Amino acid sequence: MAASQASGTYFDGLTARPHPVTLRLTDRLEIVGRDISVAWDLADIVAGETPPPLMRLSVVGESARIEFTDEVFARAVFVLCPDLYRPEARDAGGRWRLVLWSVAAGLSVLLVAIYGVPALAVRLAPLVPDAIESRLGAAVDGQIVNILGDPPACNDAPAQAVLDRLVARMIQGRGLPSDLRLTVRRHAMANALTLPGGRVIVLSNLIAQAQNADEFAAILAHEFGHVVARDPTRSLIQATGSSFLLSLVLGDLTGSTIIVALGQAAVSAGYSRDAERTADDYAVTMMEAAGGDAFALATMLERIAKDDAKDGAKDGSKRNLTNFLRSHPFTAERAARIRALASPGSAGRRILPDEDWAVLKRICTKAAPATEP
Amino acid sequence: MHGRAGRTGLIAFDRKAPGLTGIAVRGFLLSLITFGIYRFWYITELRRFFWSRTLIDGSPAEYTGRGKELFLGFLVALAILIPLYIAIFVASISVPALAPFAGALSFPILFVLGQFALYRGRRYRASRTFWRGIRLGQDGSGIAYALMAAGWWLLTLLTFGLAFPFMRASLERYRIDHTLVGSSRMSSTATGRSILGPWLLFYSVALLPVILSLAVAFAGLGFAIPEDLLVERGSRTILNPAYDSVTKTAIGFSVVGALGFGTVAGVLLIPFYRARETKAFMNAASLGPARLASTLRAGQFYWPYLVYFLSLIGFVLLILVIAVLLGGGLHLAGSQSGMHIAIALGTIVLYLGGALLVAVLHVRLIQARLWEAVATTTVIDDADGLDAVLASSRAQASGLNEGMADALDLGGAIEIGL
Repeated sequence: MAASQASGTYFDGLTARPHPVTLRLTDRLEIVGRDISVAWDLADIVAGETPPPLMRLSVVGESARIEFTDEVFARAVFVLCPDLYRPEARDAGGRWRLVLWSVAAGLSVLLVAIYGVPALAVRLAPLVPDAIESRLGAAVDGQIVNILGDPPACNDAPAQAVLDRLVARMIQGRGLPSDLRLTVRRHAMANALTLPGGRVIVLSNLIAQAQNADEFAAILAHEFGHVVARDPTRSLIQATGSSFLLSLVLGDLTGSTIIVALGQAAVSAGYSRDAERTADDYAVTMMEAAGGDAFALATMLERIAKDDAKDGAKDGSKRNLTNFLRSHPFTAERAARIRALASPGSAGRRILPDEDWAVLKRICTKAAPATEP
Repeated sequence: MHGRAGRTGLIAFDRKAPGLTGIAVRGFLLSLITFGIYRFWYITELRRFFWSRTLIDGSPAEYTGRGKELFLGFLVALAILIPLYIAIFVASISVPALAPFAGALSFPILFVLGQFALYRGRRYRASRTFWRGIRLGQDGSGIAYALMAAGWWLLTLLTFGLAFPFMRASLERYRIDHTLVGSSRMSSTATGRSILGPWLLFYSVALLPVILSLAVAFAGLGFAIPEDLLVERGSRTILNPAYDSVTKTAIGFSVVGALGFGTVAGVLLIPFYRARETKAFMNAASLGPARLASTLRAGQFYWPYLVYFLSLIGFVLLILVIAVLLGGGLHLAGSQSGMHIAIALGTIVLYLGGALLVAVLHVRLIQARLWEAVATTTVIDDADGLDAVLASSRAQASGLNEGMADALDLGGAIEIGL
């Protein structure tokens, strides 16, 4: 049998000069040209990736190359060289191992973000020094106020005096942080937020919605419960950690995600249900100790749940729908739990005389901007 | 005068690129299910494809980089960037006065780091490239390049963009002059003047109206930055009526008009500028006696972009139609949650299908067609000069810094041009 033969180009790996050569396939690959006579072991020959019919061969670990376009010769080389496409074959096997491991790694990070970070946050929150927590609070405070659209702070002097007296009575001897800072801001939302470092923001519509001082005080007591449990710091650590991990997995490693997540976490007050229950329990105890109506929180919650349900039924707009889903039936469950906990003796008690409550309700009269209808 | 006219070497690339679609589909799907980790191997596969299909004077280039190297580089970049991000974050919390400037503070740091990573990433790609068995390489200092780029960008901002072509040429010269094929050094004679014309055209049509109208508005506002330009009225955000004298007049409308016009004109003129710049820079590059010569026309850049953007617009329209239909479907379905789940699943499948389509189109149209346009319009004058290229014994560069570029979202798998 005549040996396969073809003409090709040889590059010696030292210069880029092309050498026309004759390629002969026997028990080795013989490369013969002017001043050139080389022979390669068939087992060592590998083929590079090239557009057919061009073919490029080399020997593992060496920089000399041959190039040729003879397809018959290429087939002969393919038959005789056992490891011609070894690197590619190795790559294909490695690909599935790689895919499996990266799926596993991704899932592991996801699970850590969902379960591990919250568990870690519970243990880390109490370890944050007060000084850092209060700085954190100041930073978040500024951001929240910004997100809410810079609502003016309400500080009508007589009302503020009533509020200060009320808070002083409620927190007396309960070991709340000394730098507890309660601000009322004029806003159309009925909500109260607790931020790290003992900062509580009450939005004025909440005072308008409260039917008596006890309902308002019960909300405050609930927020103080979050302060005592350091829930805001915990939820900040949790949100930061989770979003950091997730952005890492998703390949988006810009710091901005974290900063944004900080604000979002605080606004949506994404506390767990356990944290809400603990704060409710705390509120019941505090209201009873301060001589108020421990059932007031339940009354308020039930009214919010009923309003939301009504809104949700009336128009199916997305906002009301999610509101409804979020508060119901959890709100009803919370109210029931509060009713079970509160001692019957406290029902109907008033934490403030009616005239003081009337003064307190006017806390936002001076800060009112003229544009609001 | 030499009597001998140099032989002309061709650069070829098969426009049909058989096999590329398969790589793109597989790369997209595997990147999706591996949370993006596969992208390093996908990029490597793409590069191997493009390199091996590019025949320079008859010999295909060889890419020997590995996905593993890029992935390792990414991990190292994380090790550098995470402490940096945390430091910026901690600084903005512990010094509250600093907080509003955290973004402004981190940007220059990340910018310089990004330029450094880009330069070193190029070094990695060069050192994994072989041609005729000879390894390419890049020397020069990543730090010098990053500082140079930062300085030039500053100057470009200060001159309202007029220094831009000079920056491009200066950085191109630095890159090319530090590129080696074996032990032969490439050199570039790129000048800002050679691309000043195309830039000025782009500048005067797309940028100048915006800059001028903003300047006039700025003058109208008494040279003060209007921080309270947008104000809240109830639940709506409106333009502050205090600035009516500026915003509600021809000046305000001209700013909006110039912005709109500039955006459209910019999109339309970017391929033109890029084509002219690529041509000028190609013509300026040489390796010893062998010189590159490009006959690239802007039209060859427009066609892929046009097809690509038309398909993107078509895709967005399709999504909008589906969204409207889904909205109607949701309304009809009412509270049937089974229907909701079916619709949600349908949306996800459609979205992923669309994203896959866009990814494949991007590879096939933008990357392959532009690559082809640049490659096939470039010839090597006096190609026999290439024979003199000698191999060198330089160590290969590490892939660590390209990972940094990826972590900073700068990693272009395939860069058109040199």
